[in-house]
Amino acid sequence: MSFFYLLEAFQTIFSDLSSLLFILMGVTAGIMVGCLPGLTATMGCALLIPFTFSLPPVQGLLMLMGIFTGGIYGGSISAILIRTPGTPAAAATLLDGHPLSMRGEAGKAIGIGTIASFVGGTIGALIMAFMAPQIAKFGLLFGPPEFFALAIFGLSMIISISGESLLKGAIAALIGLLITTIGFDPLSGVPRFTFNNENLLGGITFIPALIGMFGFAQVFRNIERMELVPQVKSKVGRLLPPFKEVRSLLPTMAKSGSMGAVTGSVPGLGCDIAAFIAYGEAKRTSKTPEKFGQGSLEGIAAPEAANNGATGGAMIPMLTLGVPGDAVTAVLLGALTIHGFQPGPLLFRDHLDVVYPIFAGMILCQLVLLIVGLSGARLFAKLINIDTRILTPVIFLLCIVGSYSMRFSFFDVGLALTIGVIAYFMGKAKFPVSPVLLALILGPMAEQNMRRSLMYSQDDLSIFVTRPISAAFLILAVIMVYSGYRRFKKIKEIEARMQTESQHQEG
Amino acid sequence: MKKTLCLAAAAILAFSSSSFAAFPEKDITLVVPWSAGGGTDTIARALVKNAKQHIGVNVNVVNKTGGQGIVGMGATKMARPDGYTVGLITFGLSTYKLMGLSQLTYRDFDLLQLLNQSSAGLSVNADSKWNSLDEVMQHAKANPRDVSLGHTGAGVAWHLSAAALGVMYDTEFNFIPFDGGAPTRSALLGGHVDLAATGIDEVKQLHEAGEVKVLAVNALQRHPAFPDVPTLAEAGYKIDAPVLDWRGLALPKNVPADRKQFLKEGFKKMFDDPEFRKYCEDVGLILVYEDSAGFEQFLANMEEVLTPTLDAVGLIR
Repeated sequence: MSFFYLLEAFQTIFSDLSSLLFILMGVTAGIMVGCLPGLTATMGCALLIPFTFSLPPVQGLLMLMGIFTGGIYGGSISAILIRTPGTPAAAATLLDGHPLSMRGEAGKAIGIGTIASFVGGTIGALIMAFMAPQIAKFGLLFGPPEFFALAIFGLSMIISISGESLLKGAIAALIGLLITTIGFDPLSGVPRFTFNNENLLGGITFIPALIGMFGFAQVFRNIERMELVPQVKSKVGRLLPPFKEVRSLLPTMAKSGSMGAVTGSVPGLGCDIAAFIAYGEAKRTSKTPEKFGQGSLEGIAAPEAANNGATGGAMIPMLTLGVPGDAVTAVLLGALTIHGFQPGPLLFRDHLDVVYPIFAGMILCQLVLLIVGLSGARLFAKLINIDTRILTPVIFLLCIVGSYSMRFSFFDVGLALTIGVIAYFMGKAKFPVSPVLLALILGPMAEQNMRRSLMYSQDDLSIFVTRPISAAFLILAVIMVYSGYRRFKKIKEIEARMQTESQHQEG
Repeated sequence: MKKTLCLAAAAILAFSSSSFAAFPEKDITLVVPWSAGGGTDTIARALVKNAKQHIGVNVNVVNKTGGQGIVGMGATKMARPDGYTVGLITFGLSTYKLMGLSQLTYRDFDLLQLLNQSSAGLSVNADSKWNSLDEVMQHAKANPRDVSLGHTGAGVAWHLSAAALGVMYDTEFNFIPFDGGAPTRSALLGGHVDLAATGIDEVKQLHEAGEVKVLAVNALQRHPAFPDVPTLAEAGYKIDAPVLDWRGLALPKNVPADRKQFLKEGFKKMFDDPEFRKYCEDVGLILVYEDSAGFEQFLANMEEVLTPTLDAVGLIR
């Protein structure tokens, strides 16, 4: 039944080629917005809404979904090339994407990222098209205790992204968790640690933190190295990674894509969380976990497939319940309403003429993304060969503009710079910054939902283990930490053995 | 000599641009203190959609978010008073000073007009054993803190509206604050809270689809989009001055009178645009117009209504 509707929707879209043009425009604009740090898919969509007023609703929506898809993908390009994620969702991609591009294989990194985005996104779109109502019911099972347990599970991924020292990773995460307590507390209505500065009432906002931690810190590192270290000339190389490599990554992509779609469909979880969870899971189950963080192809494929899979997932609760899955779908919800369609259970009854073109459009967006991404990869990869003495000031400028433009605030620029300086010194002392970021994403979710659960249970802690989903995630978190710790030990052993062996050879 | 000439030239320029050039000669900015895509933002964008038709220039929405709306409203207050910056102000402005969050009050602005008032709706899940407000209240009275009541955040209109009901009728709810309307709605749909206090328009579609039962609306009259939902008084729990959510337009102080007049008339025209009216009707938003004086009167009353309620829930500072 739904298959038939979907075919009909494809027919409608193809009957008017301008629809395809709008998708193309959306995806391209999305990629550009996404790869500029500070300009997110959310902003791209919000800025474009007024332009869609004059379009027929379906075409306007297709364009907005194109921006969504392209924006989430585009963030990975700057993450890979300049170690500055263009969007929060790409923060996990830089862990392996940037090392690979430092080895001169930027083209390959982008190529894998593009294919993974396509595979993940398509899986997400298909799940959305065929299973939306069922998945929406699943998302509703998540109450405060479940969100808390999920946040704890997410935080257990720290063990996968800590790099050389678990202790330093844990310290970094704790710093991040402490930072999230700054700002107005919506549960009690009390400002915390704001020092009467109104700019801090909203807390340390995410975008300036992201730009500071990665963008500015990277600029400082570049400045330091500029005259000393010769620049690695990147061979743009083959545009398409060899089929054999892609094929061996397909299982990872498929798994991460579906995980992303399910994660994204839970209201309140976004593409960023999906990417981190998929990264941790890929590392946990990988045959070569020691390569993660050094430029592992799996480490690029997993988060990229997951964050684009999550785009389809996030649309599900928005369309079926009128509850947005994340920030971008909140904007899309606004756009749908302005065009006269109120998302929610009635949309599926009254407006199948809009619902199915949305599904079909989402699938087409992925195809367009693959084509645009692969043909642009060569161009993007060339960017990294620009002299760092020119590139670094440009990144610096982009970081300033990016941190300003989120809320048109100079306070945020100062904030990002300060965080950048701190992150630079953290890097010097070999503290990883990604755990800070993960803590910033998950901290408020964990704290608020723990307090909410305890309010609900009237301070009875057993609420976290007596509810099945909550208990399951807590157990998963324990398993994750345990197996992560064992794997970490093993890698250290291998490294130690290799070191002694090489010493023997020298001796 | 040179300096005087320069000054004179500058004075002439300034003079000519302020009194001879037609206002507005460039686009106007509307500062929205909430994020893009949210309820307030969507209304703002719908309002200014046909601006060019009505005032000859576009009105561009700029979202300055953060600090529970304080950052954006503060930006409007501090904006250059040349008439090119108009700000959207919302309910929080009635509570900031009382809650000790900021010194900002409506007195810091030149008010343009009131746009809308929303009232709270109390809803239960469709599967709930309760079918009327009275049943819930009876149960809650007999079992203090047994009924969990989800709301959209401490100090938000819906929280205060429900709190006022509890205080007035000596009933203790177990308040569970969520962060905004969407998570509150999903908690209600998922059965994670017994009762939810949200803007009534926020549950319009769920109500029509039969997913939730709206037990009462905290207003003096019934809501046109919910003709079958009784007011609190009709449900047996009369409240004289209900807490209402509101949105309005304001200017920084000291905008020249002629420009203010122009904006007043201009925004009124956009407000009366049939397309905007149709949109608001579709989403269940009640438009209420008050001019500057009426708006000011409304806000002064609101502070008086809110003070005892905020005190009752321990949010006065």
